[in-house]
Amino acid sequence: MNDFAKLPGMHLTEIGRGVFLLEPSRSLDISAQDELVVAVLARLQQAEASKLYYDLAALPLIEPLYYQWLNRLARACGAINAGMVCINFQPTAAFALAHHMETPPAFSAALSIRERA
Amino acid sequence: MAQQGNTSQILAETLKLQIGNISSAIEKQGHAIFGGSNLLDSDEIADFCIEFLELLVALLESKDPEDDASPQFHALEMYFNNLSRQILMRGGRVEDLVRYIQFMQRALIEMLAENKEIGIKEARAILLYLSGIFNELILAVFAAYLDEKERTIYAQEKELRETSTPITEIWDGVLTLPIIGTLDSSRTMIVMEALLNRIARDRAEAVVMDLTGVKNIDSQVSHHLIQMVRAVQLMGSDAIITGIRPEIARALTSLNIDLGNVITRATLSDGLKEAFRRLGIQVSARA
Repeated sequence: MNDFAKLPGMHLTEIGRGVFLLEPSRSLDISAQDELVVAVLARLQQAEASKLYYDLAALPLIEPLYYQWLNRLARACGAINAGMVCINFQPTAAFALAHHMETPPAFSAALSIRERA
Repeated sequence: MAQQGNTSQILAETLKLQIGNISSAIEKQGHAIFGGSNLLDSDEIADFCIEFLELLVALLESKDPEDDASPQFHALEMYFNNLSRQILMRGGRVEDLVRYIQFMQRALIEMLAENKEIGIKEARAILLYLSGIFNELILAVFAAYLDEKERTIYAQEKELRETSTPITEIWDGVLTLPIIGTLDSSRTMIVMEALLNRIARDRAEAVVMDLTGVKNIDSQVSHHLIQMVRAVQLMGSDAIITGIRPEIARALTSLNIDLGNVITRATLSDGLKEAFRRLGIQVSARA
């Protein structure tokens, strides 16, 4: 339950059986997407994860590059049969992102872990 | 520069000599224009005349009285700007204030006419100088007038927008947003911002957007609508659109707007039922 792995710029914690919470920090370098995806997926596969919550509480703005990273990670999670749910979207981030989104995201969204997702 | 210095010096000296007459003339005119309508009381008019003359003398005695960027000129300009705001806020007319400023200019010119020592060349320079100053002051009054009008229009628009898009928490976790009229870019942004903040604040899991009051829709409006739905979904809430009129539905299909990912219901009542169903809420009549 309290097992977690330290990844560069993010904190991945198993919060339930097969359910993980990913909390990115400000130092997360999304230009190294390949390494990040491999590291996250390795941990999820090891624990036979079925769901990954991605916490966006610390991000007041999500630019297209970050959106691309979220979609990429969500698709990669889908490839190992794990769903990705973005939680705690900030109103400012949702507002800005809705303006430059052209297709629906590869991830689903929820208000928080407590709410249905 | 020597000519300018001479002009302002003559003006300052003449003004100081006749300050009592000038002050009483502009005070009298002030009462005639503003006193009757109670826009300014007697004390305010008297204070205004004294302060105006003090600021004018300060400008005339400044290092460069022609410099409209000097602190003395700025002080005079700001004084009229503030006076203008004060009068407009009390329901006065900008025309009256402009006429009053023109009267002041005339009073100063008449004062100079009594000074027989002023030659034609100097009189011409003084007239040009005064006309330059007073033109700038009138512009300052108009700038304040326009600012005040813009502020009023903005406040009215804001109030209208707030009342025309009331976001109501109709049930725990369920928000309703009836949209009436047209959704233009600025209104969409305001509604979206308010809606997203309410979702975050109330932890709303469903938002019912009712379009019954939307009479027509074009590609821009439909685009804004889709953006709003996407933003709500990103927040983790369900967006339910209700009350789409047949002509709106026809317009949406001809605009190739895909509502495939959007939950739609015929009426607001159906939309609320759908929101309740999604939240696992059952509303039933008492047996």
